[in-house]
Amino acid sequence: MNSSDLDFSRNVFINCPFDPEYIPLLRPLLFTVLFLNYNPRIASERFDSGEARINKICELIKCSRYSIHDISRIRSKKRGEYYRLNMPFELGIDLGCRLGEGILQSKTCLILEKDKYDYQKAISDLSNSDIKSHNNDPETLVFQVRNWFAELGMENAPSATRIWKRFNEFMADFREAREKDGFKDRDLEFMPAPEYINFIKQWIAVSAGQTR
Amino acid sequence: MAKRSASVSAKSQRVHVISRKDGWAVQKEGNTKASKVFDRKEAAVEGARKLSKGHSDVIVHKKDGSIQRWERSESNP
Repeated sequence: MNSSDLDFSRNVFINCPFDPEYIPLLRPLLFTVLFLNYNPRIASERFDSGEARINKICELIKCSRYSIHDISRIRSKKRGEYYRLNMPFELGIDLGCRLGEGILQSKTCLILEKDKYDYQKAISDLSNSDIKSHNNDPETLVFQVRNWFAELGMENAPSATRIWKRFNEFMADFREAREKDGFKDRDLEFMPAPEYINFIKQWIAVSAGQTR
Repeated sequence: MAKRSASVSAKSQRVHVISRKDGWAVQKEGNTKASKVFDRKEAAVEGARKLSKGHSDVIVHKKDGSIQRWERSESNP
């Protein structure tokens, strides 16, 4: 197995909205993936105006054995608002990628929805698929993601309760450290995901020698 | 992060009020189990203050884990 295969087996493509409303779910999602020693790959991890977004997404999907697709935000909220198609579109690319050769056939994914069976109204092709619901609750999302990795055979996975507790402690350290660096609430709320991911990685590295 | 690790001993005394499925947990940092779980958040905050006795920070979290309020202890004003 070469190093890119190793990366492939730890990479988790995250397909979710990146708007402010989703941040309360995105933060614990990224934390849980990193805490379980996997590597989240997201479309916003590098910003290059000259790079076609779809190319970047296809590349991330191809280099990730695992994917987490949150399709809880695809529904329009008011009259005249468009249905959000990016998430189901990227889910389709990911499922299609499994038809490729070699390691691509080992790809596996978790699909998250707000309420159980909601997705069937919009994507009936996914009927009979095992889709998990998080009810827009961050702790439930941690529970679902952790249990998914455990069901895939991850050994000695910490409990969801422990991950949730450590996430809360991380949030305190995150705020304290950033405030010392002059960050205000607004800076913290809209911090770019790659910067946030790096902070989690540093925090986990420091915690590893303590009581992770 | 280096600054953070230097303050580990003070940090470990923090008391958190954390949202859980079964209510609001009062939890000392570093402990694996919650000291107590309350039905109401206000009661949990009061429980955290009693546990800290003013000697450690009380950190009240929102349901999403972010910080709602940070009550500094006498030793960490």
